[in-house]
Amino acid sequence: MKLIMKTNFKITKAIAFLLILIVTFSSCTNDLNITPQDDQTLLGEDFFANESSYKELLAGVYANLSLTGINGPGSSNIAGLDAGTSQFGRVLLYLQTLSADQMIWSYENDPGVREIQRNLWTSQNPIIVGMFSRTHVTIAFANNFLRETTTEKLDARNVSAATRAEIVTYRAEARLLRAMSYYYMMDLFGKANFLTENDPVNTTPQVYDRAQLFDFVESELVAIQGDLKDPRTNEHARADKAVAWTILAKIYLNAQVYIGQDKYAECLAACKNIIDNGGFSLASNYLHNFMADNDVNSADNEIIFPIVSDGTHTQNYGPTTVMINGEVGSIEANGAALGVGAGGWGGALRLRKQFVQLFNGPAFANDDRNTIISGTRPIDIIDISDKDTGYILEKYSNAKSSGGFGSDQTFVDTDFPLFRLADVYLMYAEAHLRGGGGMLNNAVSYVNLLRTRANNTNTITSGDLTLQFILDERARELHWEAHRRQDLIRYGLFTGGNYNWAWKGNGTNGVALPAHYKLYPIPSASLASNPNLSQNTGY
Amino acid sequence: MRKFKLLLTGILLCFSFTVFAQQTVKGVVKEKATGEGLPGVSVVVKGTTNGTSTDFDGNFTLKNVKTGDILVITYLGFKEKEVTLGTSFDLTIELEESTERLDEIVVVGYGTTTVKDATGSVEAITTKDFNKGNIVTPENLLSGRVAGVSITTSGAPGSGSQIRIRGGSSINASNNPLIVIDGLPIDSNGVNGSRGILANINPNDIESFSILKDASATAIYGSRASNGVIIITTKKGKSQFTLDYDVQHSFGEVVDRVNVHSANEFRNLINSQPINNTVIDVSLLGNANTDWQNEVLRSTHSTQHNVTAKGSIFNKIPTRLTFGFSDQEGAILTSNFKRSNVSISMNPSFFEDHLKINLNYNRAFENSRFAASGIGAALRYDPTQPVYDAASPFDGFYQHYTNTVNGVVLSNGGTNPVAALLQNNNTGKVFRQYGNLQFDYKFHFLPELKAVVNLGYDKSNGSYNNFGSLNSPASYNANFVGNESFGNQVKENKLLDGYLNYKKDFKDIKTDFTAGYSYQQFKDSGFNSGNLRNPNNSPDTFAATDVVLIGFFGRANFSFFDKYLLTLSYRRDGTSRFSAKNRWGNFPAAAVAWKISDEDFLKGSKVISNLKLRASYGITGQQDIPNNEIYLSTYRFGNTGSQFLFDGNPIQSTIPQPNNPDIRWEETATIEFGIDYGLFDNKFTGSLGVFQKNSTDLLFNAPVADGSNFTNSITQNIGELQVRGLEFTLNADIISNEDMNWNVNFNATLLDREIKELALNQDVTTGGVAGGTGNTVQLFREGFAPNSFYVYKQLYDSTGAPIEGAYADLDGNGIINGEDRYLKEDPGADVTLGFQSSFNYKKFDLAFNMRASIGNYVYNNVNSSLSQYSLLLDQSVLGNIPTSVSNTNFQVTSDVILSDIYIENASFLKMDNITLGYTFDRPIKKYTKNSIRLWAGVQNVFTITNYSGLDPEVFNGIDNLIFPRSRTFLLGANIKF
Repeated sequence: MKLIMKTNFKITKAIAFLLILIVTFSSCTNDLNITPQDDQTLLGEDFFANESSYKELLAGVYANLSLTGINGPGSSNIAGLDAGTSQFGRVLLYLQTLSADQMIWSYENDPGVREIQRNLWTSQNPIIVGMFSRTHVTIAFANNFLRETTTEKLDARNVSAATRAEIVTYRAEARLLRAMSYYYMMDLFGKANFLTENDPVNTTPQVYDRAQLFDFVESELVAIQGDLKDPRTNEHARADKAVAWTILAKIYLNAQVYIGQDKYAECLAACKNIIDNGGFSLASNYLHNFMADNDVNSADNEIIFPIVSDGTHTQNYGPTTVMINGEVGSIEANGAALGVGAGGWGGALRLRKQFVQLFNGPAFANDDRNTIISGTRPIDIIDISDKDTGYILEKYSNAKSSGGFGSDQTFVDTDFPLFRLADVYLMYAEAHLRGGGGMLNNAVSYVNLLRTRANNTNTITSGDLTLQFILDERARELHWEAHRRQDLIRYGLFTGGNYNWAWKGNGTNGVALPAHYKLYPIPSASLASNPNLSQNTGY
Repeated sequence: MRKFKLLLTGILLCFSFTVFAQQTVKGVVKEKATGEGLPGVSVVVKGTTNGTSTDFDGNFTLKNVKTGDILVITYLGFKEKEVTLGTSFDLTIELEESTERLDEIVVVGYGTTTVKDATGSVEAITTKDFNKGNIVTPENLLSGRVAGVSITTSGAPGSGSQIRIRGGSSINASNNPLIVIDGLPIDSNGVNGSRGILANINPNDIESFSILKDASATAIYGSRASNGVIIITTKKGKSQFTLDYDVQHSFGEVVDRVNVHSANEFRNLINSQPINNTVIDVSLLGNANTDWQNEVLRSTHSTQHNVTAKGSIFNKIPTRLTFGFSDQEGAILTSNFKRSNVSISMNPSFFEDHLKINLNYNRAFENSRFAASGIGAALRYDPTQPVYDAASPFDGFYQHYTNTVNGVVLSNGGTNPVAALLQNNNTGKVFRQYGNLQFDYKFHFLPELKAVVNLGYDKSNGSYNNFGSLNSPASYNANFVGNESFGNQVKENKLLDGYLNYKKDFKDIKTDFTAGYSYQQFKDSGFNSGNLRNPNNSPDTFAATDVVLIGFFGRANFSFFDKYLLTLSYRRDGTSRFSAKNRWGNFPAAAVAWKISDEDFLKGSKVISNLKLRASYGITGQQDIPNNEIYLSTYRFGNTGSQFLFDGNPIQSTIPQPNNPDIRWEETATIEFGIDYGLFDNKFTGSLGVFQKNSTDLLFNAPVADGSNFTNSITQNIGELQVRGLEFTLNADIISNEDMNWNVNFNATLLDREIKELALNQDVTTGGVAGGTGNTVQLFREGFAPNSFYVYKQLYDSTGAPIEGAYADLDGNGIINGEDRYLKEDPGADVTLGFQSSFNYKKFDLAFNMRASIGNYVYNNVNSSLSQYSLLLDQSVLGNIPTSVSNTNFQVTSDVILSDIYIENASFLKMDNITLGYTFDRPIKKYTKNSIRLWAGVQNVFTITNYSGLDPEVFNGIDNLIFPRSRTFLLGANIKF
């Protein structure tokens, strides 16, 4: 009996030992609560503990127009396409310019490019994915900014009055960036996932069609005007009232396309506002707008809103890096003068014939805007992969107007001029011709200001100012600036067969396009991830 | 409570024997082959529970015996022996190693079993089964040996391997098996500067591998077990002194070349002006005749040395000490791999073997130089140009340049591949320390109960250094020249395991219970300098969020009448990768087995000597995703090159990170049925198994509604993958007698992987290829195997020649675009076969290994991205292209790169190695025990395939020129004292 007792005692001891073990081990399960250790990562509340975070967070919303990720130009926070290609300005350039009559990309094995430039795209196209997703990320960042800067949150974090005053402007800018994103979605896709700061993360979005987006963009841009800074009073690269007016001018100019309504008077008014009250003036030299120092040279007076690029701090494979490296000729190897490697990207970009022909004739021989290099090249591009055919362009540059070059030989310092005064002048002229009011004299003089600035002495008279002239002049002034598809659609020339350019619809000399190509298809992944979203007609 | 009553009864019985004490027997148990004492051997008086086990020198003392008692001596892995006590009560007993595979010990998670008692699909590969030949890294001891295990290793020296057990279980999450070394699960990702996670482990230190394949075997590792488990056990110390020295020299050469044009063929081709609409400037042709592949490849000489000493320190601590040195030259110029290892293992026992301590400590130094370019650059370079050019400013290497008034201008296009290798010095260094300390304590008051505590530690300190010559053409015209960078990474892995094991045999029931706890933590941090020569360089430090894994586990084994086996196991695992509400997962498994051959109706069978049916089912998990904090809401700011400018001033732009608070386990349910058989007195043994694995809630990067998160795609639990397979193994001891032994092993695996469900039914492109920015050639699609090739259907003219850029309009809409791509074949083999033969005749031994893979397809990316005439112009210089261009006469890469013409059947049969040895027994008569074995062999003996590329065995089905595998001739000696 004693023995049994003793054994029992030992078993009790063993059980106690076990229990102690389990309790000890269980306490270690707290180690499963981890915190980030990388010096670039912060938990939300740690981040907002510092009041400078609000401006950094706003910079994050802006940065999504320039950067694709946080770990250099090869990183991306969206999936489905090459990281560098997913840059906002790059996909915008591809969808607005490469898809039309001004530009050809030689390397058709870069996914998606062939289908964009030959108008063969499908809902699987990675560049279309890039545009849809990148822009919606801006919307998500803007909404996050607005959610994190509500009065309640700022109260809870005891944010100082000085910072709060700044935040009022920041919030207006975040709303502007969101409205601008919806403007591009309205233009390119005719619809968007609609989310505001009131929708928490991971909400299934409702979908706004063109009319709803139009109303939203318009009402937002009007509503925030009181909070935005006056034109040219904000820090460079931050949006001000003039940016809101420019977007308004653009949606009004294209209102017939978007909502079937005539808003030319509103467009003209917005343009007039920018011209009269913006304090902008044309750069002294046309090419200053496209140089490495276009943030500080005379272009600073003309550019209303840039997409920032910097070889040191803001490295990206955006439109300026791509165009400057890409425009270097395969034969010419003219990169050194443009501030990039002599060979650039071996002749990635060339011109289609129809664009070249807009500069035909002695009238444009000395026009600064004519940077076309023909050399011994044939004008026609029969074989897209043959980089020695077709003319090339030398519009953008990583050289500085003051001499010297940008800080890096691949990633240029040149900002992309998303909106600039010259565009507003031409919108004014067009809105006037389309019955928006205003003065014919002003319209003519605005066009002539551009010509004079380009050292083109062939100014026009009021009789020359036709809609077709404006379309052509827009191409001469604004080529490779991501406007062309929108312009051609407004003129009814993008689809159908009234105007065919080289490789339109995959024909060497161009063939007619079905009308549904006026809108891009919704990427199939986006379609699948939001059950409220439907495909555009025709796709 | 009943259990405890039984327990008590047992103890009382033990007590009762002391009453009838008679005499005491002493003895020593030795291994017959070596004469070494065997520790832990069980010595029991037959028909009683009176027994003991030997100490570490093999000695035992057993009281209460009398003449006529039969002692049963059993030791795992050895033949059982019975000794009848006569007049002598001081015995020397020799045990012979069992040759029967059924008696082989198999290490399983937190314990051991034997082949005959295993209920799950477990395979043990021990020293005697290891592959011979040129073994540099441990996993190559296993290649082709185990059904269901595929190991793909490139030809780079010391290269890591892609190891897949049953094809893996995931799509986006890791497919690497869990590797456990002496109880320590190691990190499945390597460290900067290293060639692979196993590269710095000396294969010579390894005693055995256990491959756990089905859920019943793996589920004890819970959340990390879905891709199977490989348990590596290192060699232990012994009390008897022995000294082994192994040396091996190998001489390698890459036999095959990619067929490109010779200099003269190239001249003729250029002169024929084969590019449509383009006139090639023939003056670009040079006068030299250079075979660039020959210039970048070399014959190699490599050596390996291993010295192992075993013996007892202070006559108390059995110890093994091994020094290993490996010096491997790579077949591509400059590439090499050097490794030195020191490993020590100490295995003392205390308190009459109640406490056993195992200490393993390893130090490894790995030094590599990585070839700065592969043979891709070589086959592209103009064969009419020389390697050297005395006038060249580029360290005397020929380059395409011209002298102008502004200095040297480099032409656009490829650069000299020999210069690229010799002018770049890219090195990696790793210092790794790993090991474990295990306490195994058998309770004094309850010997059936033991407690095991295992402490493990693994720390790798890796660094790399890249230096490009200042006279290299890299970015010669840029404002900085070439690359100079360095960096390091420190990875640390700490483990604490503890478990209790209770083993008790009753009359007809044997039981074995295990319950334990495991804690493991992984740390990872480092630094990358970036390119120091780039003025806009941004150095970066990084630190991954710690990964902590905690598990509670238990297992119960029951054996009824020694015929019916039941194993139940359970693990509850927590991971720091998921939020508190999702972080714990339960992973149960069960297996049953029926040893039919022990039933009366089969007992006397002359044909069937062993037959066991087994079935198992279990659930395992997966949590290995790259993002360690995806469930947290975090903010990140950019590195110095990823900031924004307000007013020209950099500001640390900060963005919210994508997050998925709902992330949870991916689960794999595995069901398996198997037969283990032995025929003709176990002359033929083996098994046949069928299994089905269903992975659900796949951790998959799937689209998330645009605008609703801070990305468009995030890791979510959506999707299902099914893997079905059949595995067959046959071991045959064809000849087995004193003079001659011939053993062969054959294994076959049928594997079928199919995606059952994808997130939102969305196809996902994958399989990046050369040619274009971000081009992909593979697709995940529901109803198809993962990584199926996604291509256009090539059209051919009436003569059967392919028409360039002409594809079938599969959707019939008149437009050829992405919608016309279709899925054709996949990289996975339908059937893989392994065959090993091992033959001894007297002192000769001959062994070889063969592997075959049937039905695996490869996308020939070399041809698809290079075999087009327009590539004869490499920007502004000339470039060579494969001669296969004449098969298609294609002109433009972008027109054809995604054609199905480049999908090829890459089935192959390979003989991996063959070795022939001769053993001199006791050549030195002075010592009682010594031997020398001299051997010679060939590695990579032959490959039979119809695949047109260099090597049909590539990674993930895309052949973009792997580091070529050399054929190697080997000479070696094993000297033992």
